[in-house]
Amino acid sequence: MSAVIEVEHLTKRFRSVVAVDDVSFGIEENTITGLLGRNGAGKTTVMQLLTGQDFATHGDIRVFGERPVENRQVLQRVSFIKESQKYPDDFKPKHVFRTAPWFFPHWDAELAERLIDDFRLPLNRRIKKLSRGQLSAVGVIVGLASRAAVTFFDEPYLGLDAVARQIFYDRLLEDYAEHPRTIVLSTHLIDEVSNLLEHVIVIDQGRILLDADAESLRGSATTVVGTRALVDSFVAGREVLHREGIGGLASVTVGRLDPAERREAGELGLELAPVSLQQLVVQKTGASTGIEQNA
Amino acid sequence: MTALDTSTRPASAAAHGAGRILPVARLHVVNRLQVLVVPALILLFILAVNMVIWWLILRSITDPADRADAQEGLQYSGASFYVFVYAVVIGVQAVAYAFPYALGMSVTRRDFWLGSALAFVGLSAVYSAFITLLAVIEQLTNGWGLGGRMFTVLYFGGADAPWYERFLLFFAAFLFCFFVGAMVSTLYQRWRVNGMLVFFAGLTVLVLGGIVLTTLTDSWPAVGAFFVAAGPGGLVAWSLVITALAAVVGFVVLRRSTPKN
Repeated sequence: MSAVIEVEHLTKRFRSVVAVDDVSFGIEENTITGLLGRNGAGKTTVMQLLTGQDFATHGDIRVFGERPVENRQVLQRVSFIKESQKYPDDFKPKHVFRTAPWFFPHWDAELAERLIDDFRLPLNRRIKKLSRGQLSAVGVIVGLASRAAVTFFDEPYLGLDAVARQIFYDRLLEDYAEHPRTIVLSTHLIDEVSNLLEHVIVIDQGRILLDADAESLRGSATTVVGTRALVDSFVAGREVLHREGIGGLASVTVGRLDPAERREAGELGLELAPVSLQQLVVQKTGASTGIEQNA
Repeated sequence: MTALDTSTRPASAAAHGAGRILPVARLHVVNRLQVLVVPALILLFILAVNMVIWWLILRSITDPADRADAQEGLQYSGASFYVFVYAVVIGVQAVAYAFPYALGMSVTRRDFWLGSALAFVGLSAVYSAFITLLAVIEQLTNGWGLGGRMFTVLYFGGADAPWYERFLLFFAAFLFCFFVGAMVSTLYQRWRVNGMLVFFAGLTVLVLGGIVLTTLTDSWPAVGAFFVAAGPGGLVAWSLVITALAAVVGFVVLRRSTPKN
C-alpha cells in the first residue's frame, strides 16, 4: 500500500480564522476514506486544498507525489464533486454530460447513462430549475462516471432522498470493486456510509481528532449500561468517553474491552452495547468542544 | 486494468496542453444557440427595425438636399453597438460561470485562461466575418436600397473602406470587448464587490484626471490630431495593446482566485 495523498503541517488561514490548523495525514491508494466532522470543521477547505482549488497558507500537499496547485498532470486524474459546484448559466444536465468527458480521460458514458436512469434525472431542464436532489445527482453522476484515480465527494447527497442515496452508495461500491480507486467522502450521514468506509479521518475546528482504520474503530468503544453504582465501580480507572444517566441508571462509554472484562461485566449484570461510528464521532467532537469551552 | 493505469501514470493522450485547452475553448461555445444564433438574430432584427425607420425618413423627406443631410447623419449610427455589448457579457460570463465549472472539471487556471482566449479569438473572427459580410452588402446595395448605414458607419471605416480593413476593425473591437469583459470579471471573482469598487473608482479617477489634464493644458486639439493621425490602423493597434494588457492582468488575477459560493 502506498499513500496517494500526503499532507504535512497543512495550515489554511482566512484572515483571522484558522480553517485548517497544522494538519498531517496520508490517504492510501485504492481505499474509501470518510472525512467526517461537524459543519465548519474544515472538511471542505481540506478538499479544496487537496484539489488545488484553494491555496495553503503553510505546509506541504502531495498528490501522486506532486503538488496539486496548477498541476495538470495531477488534476486530470482527480475529480472533485462539491455541493456548491456552479454551472454555466444556460447549462442543462445534457451539457454537463456532453462536456465532462472532454476533461476526464476515463469517462464511462455507459455508467453515466445508467446512473441518469437510476436517478431519473431530466436531461433537458435548465440546471437552475433542478431540485436540490437533482442537482446533487448531476454531481454524483459526474463523480462516478469520471472514474478518476482520486475522487472527492464533498457532501454529495444534499436533497437526495433515501432511495437515491442508497443508489449512490450501491453504485459507488459496485464501481469501486470493478475499478479500484481512491475515494474521499465527506459526510454528516455517518451511519449510512459506515459500512463503505475503510478509513476514517475525523476533523474538528481545523484539527484531526481521529485518523484510523474503520475496522479497528468498530469495537474500539463500548457502552456499559446498568445501575449507577455498579457502572461506576466497573468503569473506575478507565478513560470515559461519554456519560449519560437517568435516575439510578447510568450509561457510560469506555474504550475497548477484552473478553475477560466482558465476562466480568456480564457477571455483574451490566449490559454492553456496541458504539456506532456515528456515536463515536459525536462523542469525540462533542467532547472536544466541551473541553475547549472549559479551558 | 485501466483503473490501475490511471493511478500509476498519467493518461498520455490528455497529458499535453492541447488536450485541456481545446476542450475549455469548446466549453464556451457548447450552447451554439446562445453564442451564435441569438446575437445574429438580434442583430438582424435591429437591422430590420432600422430599415423601417430609414424607409419612413425617405418617405417623409422629398427634398434631395435634406435627404443627403439626413443620410449624412446616419454615419454616426450606433445601431450595431449592441453586439459589442453582447461580447462584453460573454466575456464576463466566461469567468463568472465557466471558470468555476472548468475548475470543477479539474482544469488548471492556466489552461482555462488559454482555452478561453482561444474561444475569444475564434468568436471574434466569426462575429467579424459576419458583420463584414453585412457591411459589404450594405456598401453594394447603397445602404440596403434605402441609403441607410449600420455597418459602414464612421467608426468602422466609413462608407468606402475596403472589406479587410472593416474586418480588422471589427476583429480588434471584439477582442477588446471579450478580454476586457473577462478581465473585469476576474477582479470580481477574486475580490468580489470590493474589487469592483476599487476598479471602477480607479478608472473614473484615471479618465477624469485625463480630461482635467487635457483641458488645463489646452491639449484637446492635440488629442483630436492624435486620433486623426492614428487612423483606423493605429486605433486597432492601440486597442490591441489594451486587449493584451487585459489578457495578462486577467490571468495574473485569476491565477490566485478560488470560486466562491
